[in-house]
Order: sequence, then structure tokens, then C-alpha cells
Amino acid sequence: MDRASWRTQVLSKHLLHSSSPAILQPNACLHYSPPELSAPFAFDIKEMRNLMDGHNLEDRDWLFGLIMHSNLFNPRRLGGRVFVSPDFNQSMEQQREMTMRRIEYLLDRGVFQGWLTGTGPEFELKRFALHEVLGMYDHSIAIKLGVHFFLWGGAIRFLGTKRHHDKWLRDTENYMIKGCFAMTELGHGSNVRGIETVATYDSSTGEFVINTPCESAQKYWIGGAGKHATHTIVFSQLNVNGNNQGVHAFIAQIRDSDGNTCPNIRIADCGHKIGLNGVDNGRIWFDNVRIPRENLLNSVADVSPNGQYLSTIKDPDQRFAAFLAPLTFGRVTIAVSAVYTSKISLAIAIRYALTRRAFSITPTGPEVLLLDYPIHQQRLMPLLAIVYAMSLAANDLKMMYVKRTPESNKTIHVVSSAYKATFTWNNMRILQECREACGGQGYKTENRVGHLKGEYDVQSTFEGDNHVLMQQVSKALLAEYRANQKKNKPFAGLGLEYMNKPQPTIPSLLTSSTIRSSQSQIDIFHSRERDLLSRFAAEVSEYQAKGESAESAFIQSFQLAEDLGRAFSERAVLQTFMDAESTLPAGSLKNIFGLLRSLYALTCLDEDASFLRSGYLSRDEAVEVRKEVTKLSSELRPHALALVSSFGIPDAFLSPIAYDWIDSNAWASVEH
Amino acid sequence: MQDSVLTLLYIHFYARISFWKTIFVLFFPFTLPHYECDECHMLRNTYFRRSSIGFSCLFCLYEYSSFFVSHQPFFPFNFLFWSFRFSFFLFFHGFDDLILVEHKLSARILILNRPKQLNALSFQMVSRLLELFYDYESNSDVKLVVMKGNGRAFCAGGDVAAVVRYANGDNWKLGAKFFEIEYQMNYLMATYSKPQISILNGIVMGGGAGASIHGRFRVATENTVFAMPETALGLFPDVGASYFLSRLPGFFGEYVGLTGARLDGAELLACGLATHFVHSSKLTSLEEALCKVESSDTAAVSAIIDKYSEQPLLRENSAYHRLDIINKCFSRRTIEEILSSLEREAMNTADDWISATIQSLKKASPTSLKIFLRLIREGKVQGVGQCLVTEYRIVCHVLRGDFSKDFFEGCRAILLDKDRNPKWEPSKLELVTDRDVDIYFSKVDEEWWNDLRLPKRFNNLPAWAISKL
Repeated sequence: MDRASWRTQVLSKHLLHSSSPAILQPNACLHYSPPELSAPFAFDIKEMRNLMDGHNLEDRDWLFGLIMHSNLFNPRRLGGRVFVSPDFNQSMEQQREMTMRRIEYLLDRGVFQGWLTGTGPEFELKRFALHEVLGMYDHSIAIKLGVHFFLWGGAIRFLGTKRHHDKWLRDTENYMIKGCFAMTELGHGSNVRGIETVATYDSSTGEFVINTPCESAQKYWIGGAGKHATHTIVFSQLNVNGNNQGVHAFIAQIRDSDGNTCPNIRIADCGHKIGLNGVDNGRIWFDNVRIPRENLLNSVADVSPNGQYLSTIKDPDQRFAAFLAPLTFGRVTIAVSAVYTSKISLAIAIRYALTRRAFSITPTGPEVLLLDYPIHQQRLMPLLAIVYAMSLAANDLKMMYVKRTPESNKTIHVVSSAYKATFTWNNMRILQECREACGGQGYKTENRVGHLKGEYDVQSTFEGDNHVLMQQVSKALLAEYRANQKKNKPFAGLGLEYMNKPQPTIPSLLTSSTIRSSQSQIDIFHSRERDLLSRFAAEVSEYQAKGESAESAFIQSFQLAEDLGRAFSERAVLQTFMDAESTLPAGSLKNIFGLLRSLYALTCLDEDASFLRSGYLSRDEAVEVRKEVTKLSSELRPHALALVSSFGIPDAFLSPIAYDWIDSNAWASVEH
Repeated sequence: MQDSVLTLLYIHFYARISFWKTIFVLFFPFTLPHYECDECHMLRNTYFRRSSIGFSCLFCLYEYSSFFVSHQPFFPFNFLFWSFRFSFFLFFHGFDDLILVEHKLSARILILNRPKQLNALSFQMVSRLLELFYDYESNSDVKLVVMKGNGRAFCAGGDVAAVVRYANGDNWKLGAKFFEIEYQMNYLMATYSKPQISILNGIVMGGGAGASIHGRFRVATENTVFAMPETALGLFPDVGASYFLSRLPGFFGEYVGLTGARLDGAELLACGLATHFVHSSKLTSLEEALCKVESSDTAAVSAIIDKYSEQPLLRENSAYHRLDIINKCFSRRTIEEILSSLEREAMNTADDWISATIQSLKKASPTSLKIFLRLIREGKVQGVGQCLVTEYRIVCHVLRGDFSKDFFEGCRAILLDKDRNPKWEPSKLELVTDRDVDIYFSKVDEEWWNDLRLPKRFNNLPAWAISKL
């Protein structure tokens, strides 16, 4: 604008006393308008990030920086910004080598200091934070590290004793040795007790002989075994003096330090996968491999030199449960990483929706921003509310884990199973919706969202199949319920205390004040869970009364079991949301929390038919709930950018379509 | 004097504003908060409230008055108009000798003109620069802005001695005001829609870096001496340094910001703080060529500077040759770990550079080091606006002396008493905990205090400015 017309404009505004914005000039070419410039944030996004990340923000930022500033992490400059992401054009072998080289770089910079030798909640939280950041860069590196530190290292720590700790932990932390974790077999995954690998004690030499007796007993999907690992934890049936003592864990060397496979070990690759190709999953056969007696991880049970089986835990069920203890940590990690993946994809999809336009409403008018379409809002905003809810719940789970006591182990087991299943399912759904919301751009690997689907799909399977985990949840709830019914023991723990009180009368949701009140929301969640739990217990008993075994009765009642698992998980998440909200001082942050919490609760109400089936939601109310979801989505629309900015994900970890996608696609950015 | 009185009368009469308020606004504008003018949408402190419109700044009022007067040929007090214009000019351009403006065809050359103080930026200078940059952005006659310094410095930084003088005790608000305007200027430059070309022919430090590095082109010469020396002063590298230093290759930014190391023109070009290197003998012709440019097209401007540029050789003992060691040591998580890894390196190799680096870290304020390390790490993952908002929070806490009073001690030791022997408090790194550093990153607990208000930017920004948001 030249000076004269500027003056005219100022003057005309004075004279007309109008404050209309500057006249839009028709422009043939689209211009990228940064969403940051449209309006200031209504709340402090740094405070919100504190609530979202929960802990160790400084450590996270440090690691983000370490990644962004190393060429190993494949930085690419597009649209004036640097984006980091593995080069998925590389072959599987190259990707695996890169994962290992990245780990070596991070090791050199002291990232893994204390990951195994440090103790206490502070160390554990820091480790969580750093691992989460690495997962935001690439799932492969997170898994590769998870196998080495948490499965191999965790097994030595939790299942081993001092002699193992002294011998292995420091070397593991420094990557003097590389560990893997051989539990799953071709024939047995979730049913670990059925594995077929056998370790026989030979008292004449004081050694265990580990053998793969048949093809279905080959160890399968063993992360790290394909190429790099030098040692492994082997889960196998322990045979002492002809008696099978059940599943035990051993340490075996599978490669020498030069990477040559050890004698009597055969290793093959699992081949190309739909994701995680930076992880060398392998298969292992043991041909009567001899390992010293000391390599039995003996915190739970031991074998004396002369072949006496000794265990402090007499009950084989409990002994088996103790062997699976390291897996709890894995489930917590998976639940948390699912949340961060959802954050990445939503941040990308929402930022894109705030800059991409399509179709005009009027013939000459400007095209409409994607996120200004109610349908686009309704596709993305409820997912945003779910991510906020999951994020708070994941933080809660982490705190529960680092403050664990022998008494809280059961709660952690149930909650981590429930969250692992629901969060990874939610994540896959969010990824799919975001991929579609980004249109064709979402299909490009460089824009991450679509590619993450393949990378994270595995989360619903590893460390416990989601459905199996959900059954664990409903089984645990059923046990609580029966204890209450039969022994008149009041409910305590797992958030079931409300069951001790009589069923409250639920106010009608048809007014806008009750539909958004946290009390009426949690009441209806409670009612659903209470209803499902009692019906589930009744149905199992009914089958048992007909002569079915407890196991078979449980299997028959799968529908209610699944619904109950979901009801438990969603109720627990809503409860954490409400608790977090209640600790906030009155202000803009609390208001936003209120909207998000309502949107989360009402989305659950809208989507799960078990509310209707239980009869605590009427048909009219269900209609009202659906309308309210739309309303809440549009109320949150102005905060969309602030809400995704509060995730604290650096631009380098999002993707070109989240920023100036016109510039990043310009001819000048094409490599000629 | 007569002019001023007439101006007052004029504004009083036409804008219907109380006489005292008029006086207040005219003579003490720097004590006022900045508001967005409803006409030109710029942040100004020279505003008047008008009945039905809201806030109008003096500039828009001035436009209004000129229209009003010139469109009424029979206006009996026509002379009032001219006297208003004149006193307006005097008032706002009265400080002009500190910043000289040369009007060229499509270019404006701004010369920082306070050579005795090495062009240190005073409150008036940053206010004036902010105004000028605003005006040039909306003025389509201006295509590019050239900035340079008079004398042997481009600019040696903010006039912190003055800030300390009036920021002592309860008056920290006045000091904060200086930084507020300065950071707003930094933000405007970082997101400027037209190319700013800074000729860094001499000393560039602290605030001087803030007034140049954010712009699109930075021309270094063989006379350039660059440094961010704030940690030795008990302050911290600010003016958006957490943005531009954190974008340097590897961990060079941490090195430059923490140690206050001096860089020459060749190093500046190598690390990317400068975009071009031109020998000082060619500066006059470069300037002439730039003044002939008739567009804001960065490629065209770049091509012109390229013609005068050369590729300088890094000196043999340059820190940039040690990027490997810098990356290895300055990427560590904490200052303590950075120091100990440097000390390990020193044991392995006898290198004066390493011992000098360790020395400068040990001489700096421990609080400043910890603040800056966290700041630059956070800066890596934030846009320039967020960086400046955080820096403004920190500087307010520094001025209030909320945890440490090192800034005042540093100014005493280096700028006032010049004994070069500051007594830092806390005196050791281990005495500054994470909790203490947290204080600096929190909001200031005062009812009237607000986070830094960033100048409003428009949608027509070029891609390179968008990428900094």
C-alpha cells in the first residue's frame, strides 16, 4: 500500500467510524497464511505444556536439540525449516544400521546415563521423558532401545540378583554388550506358559542345556536378534531331574563381540515388516546350548549345584506372574508412546486444517478453511479431547508406576493393561482420521501421519494382545466384585469405591448445565461400569450354573468382558481428567479443561452403545449428546492451534504440511 | 516553544482531549504502555483516546489533522496546522541525531549515530527504530532497509549502563520498558516483510546483534567483531539470541552464548550468523548498488550483494575448526557436564583454546550460565516470538533481582567501576538449582505485569519470515 492510499484509508475510517478490516485484494495465487498470526492464544501454552508433558521438560528439550543438530537424524530443510525423520527410502538393512548408529551417538552424548544403574522416581521419570522423545523421532529407535534397556536390562534387574546386576548392568548401559529378549515363539505369543523351549539342568557339569525341540519352538520376533544383539534372555521350561518347574528366564550369549553367531545357535531374520524396519527382528533356534548355572535369573527361583530346585514362591501361578513383571513397564511405555504419536498426527492435521482451504460458499468469496467446516471440526476436535484425556491419564499411570509398592502392583497391572489396549486402539483410529483429514498430503511419507499407521499398528499386538489384556482387566474386576459379594468386602482400589455407595439418581442430561457437569458425567460412567460389571458377573455365574468351567464361562461372556474393560478404562481416564481439572486455579486454563473434559465424556457417551443398553442414557439424551459434541467442537475451534501448540512438539518433529506447505513444495525446493 | 504550545492547543481542540493528558502524552510517552492503534494497527505509546473510535496514535491523528486542515482552504487558523506539523517533527525527530536516516530511491539507510558510546542503543534509539521499521513496512515506496553504524562499531549493544541507572530498586519497570521496546523491535525485524541489510563493519555485540541478525541479510567485513558477552555481565544473551544462536550448526550457539567468544567476519559467515562477507573497501559501492534496487525481491538483493562478496579464509586457530569438540562438549545436558567434558578434553590435548574456553565459563556468572543454557535449549524448539516472550520474562526477573543480583554486580564491575572483578552471588554453579532457574522462566507476580506483547504481523509475510514464527 502506498502512502496516499494508506492515508485515505485512515481518513475514511475516521470519517466513517468503521473498523472494518483492510479490503481484501483479489489474488489469483494462494498465499500461505501462518495460523499463528490470526489470534493470540487465550491461555498460556507453556503452562498447558507443563500439564501435558508433566515432567522433565528441560531434558526433553535437550534431547530434541541433540536430534535436530545431528546429521545422523537425516535433517531436511523445507520451507525454511528443518525436519528430522528417518530416510524410509533406505533398505531395511540400511535403516537398521542407522538406528544403531543413532543409538551410538546418543550414548556418546550421555543420553542413557543411569538408565539401568540409576534408581528412584526421578531417574525413572527422566528415562520415561527421554524415551518418549526418541519415540517421537522414530518408533524403531524407541523399540530398539526398549528391548535393550527395558526388556533385556529390565529382566536382569527385576529377575536377576546381585551377581547378575554386577556383571551385566553397567556393560548394558554402556552398550559393551547388546541384549535382546527371547520370549515369544512361533507357536506361542500371548500364552507364554505354553512355550516349548526347554532348559535341562546337567548337574554333572553345573550347566543348563537349552534346546529348541521343534520348529514351533523357534523364538520369533526377537527384536535385536536379527543383527546386533550379543546376548539374550531366554524364556524356557525348566527341567530339573525330570521335573518341569515351569517357565524360567536364562541368559545366553548368541554372538561374539565381532558379531559372529555362537556355536549351536541358529539365527534367521523375520524379514520386511509393515513398520519398524529399523529394528532387526530375528528368529533363534537353540541346539543344546550349554550355559553356566549362574545364568539362571534367580530372584524368584534357583537351582543348587547338585540339582535341587529352590523357590521362595511356592505357588506356580504367582511364580509365573513374577516372571512377567518386566512386561508391566513395557505396557506403560507403550500406552504413553501411543499418546505422543496421536499428538504428532493431530498437531499436523490441525495445523494443516488451519491453513488449507477448499470450496467457496459464495461464487466470489474466498475458499473456506478446512477447520471452519463443522464436519472437519467434528472429525478432529473430539480426537483432540481424547488425546488430552489420554495424556493426563498416561502421566497418572507413569506416576503410579514410579511410586509403585508391592501393594500397588496389582492396580498398576490392571490399569496399564487397560490403558495400553485403549490408548493404542485410540491411536490407530486417530492416525487414520488424521491421515484422511490431510487428504492426499497425508499419504506422503514425509508428512508422517500415514506412515505412522504402519509403524504403530504393532502396538495393539506386542507386549500383550489388546483383547487378551482387556480380558485381564475384566477378570480382575470380576474378582473384586465376587470378593465383595461373597465376603462382603468393601470395594477398595481400582477406583471402584463408588460401588460401595448406592446407585445415585442420575439427573437428566437434557439441560446444557447437567450435560456439561463433571458430576453427572462421572455418574453416568459409573452407572455403565456398575451395570456391566454386575451383568458380566451374572452371566459368568449363569454359564457356570449350567455346568461350564470357570474358564469356559469367562470365554462365553466375551462381549460383556470387552465392554466392561472399555468402560473401566474410559471411567478411569475421565476420573483423572476431573482430578487434574480440580487442582487448577480458576482461569482460562481451567475453562479450557472443562470444555475438553466435557467433549471427552460426551464423545464416549456418543460412541459406546453400552450406555444406551444399560438404560442410563435415554434416546432423547443420546440425540442431545450428539448435538452437544458438535457444539463443543465448535467452541474449541478457536483454541485448536493453542491446544496443539501446547503439546510442545518442535516443528522439526512435525512435517512440511504442518507449516508453509506452499513454500516447501515450491519448485525452488525441488532437488534438481 | 511557541510551536509546542500551538500543538497542544491543536490537539486539545480537535481531538477533544484534556489539556493535561495532552501534555502528559506528548512529553512522557515513554512512561506509557503500548497499545494498538485502531487506525494503523501498530503498537504505540503515543496514543489518544477518541470517543467513538478507540485508541488513535499521534501518527494517525497527524494524518487526520493534515487532511482536516488542507481540505478547508478557508480555515482561519491554517497556521496552526503548519506549526503542528513542525513541532510533531521536532518531537519525534528530535532524537534524530542518534539515528540518521538517508532517503534513497527505494532504500532507506539507517545509521546508528552514537559513535562515542560505540552506538549503544538507548531507549530513544530503539523506540525510534521501532517506529521507523513500522513506517517503512507500510510505505510502499520503501523496498529495503540498510542499517549501519557510524564509527568503529555497528553497535556494541543495548545501553545497559543507563538501564541499570534507572532500573535500580523499585524502578525496574523503566528498565523493563526498554527491553520491551527492544524485543518488539527484534520481533519486527525477524518477521519483516522487506529485506533488511545490516552492514556489520565493526563491533557487533548483544543488542547490536539483535538489531541485525534477525534481518534477512547480514554483511560481515574484515573489521567485524561479534560477541554475545552477556554472561560475563551477569545478564544472559537476549534480543532473540535463544532463537538465532540455537539455529547455528551443531552446538556452536551454546558455545558462543555461554562463553561470550568473539567471532570475526569469516567465522560469522561460516556459522551462518552473516549471509555475506564483503571487504570494507567495497562497502560504498555495495551501498550505492543497493540504493538502485527497486524491489523487495530477496533473490535480486542477494545477487547484488553476491557481486561484492568474497569467500574469506577462516583463521587457523578459529573456534569453528573445533566444531567437533564443541559439539561433543557443549551438547551435554548441564553446565557442570559441559565443563567437566571440556576439562577431560583439556587433559587429552594441550590446546590453549580449550583452556581459554574453560576460563571464560568459570569467569561468567553461574546464574547467567544456567539461565542461558535452559533458554537456548528451549529456544531450539520455539519460534522467534515465543523466544522473545520467554526472554522478556527472564529479563524482568533479572531487573527485579528476584534470585540473583548478578546483573547489577556485573555492570558495576565491568561498566561502572571497571575493576573487572565481579563478585557473583551465588558464586558457584552447584548453588544454582533447577528450582532457582525455574523462577526466571515464570510469569512475574505483579498485577499490572503482562507477557511481552508481540507486534501484530500481517498475512503478507515472505516465506523466510513465516518460517521463524
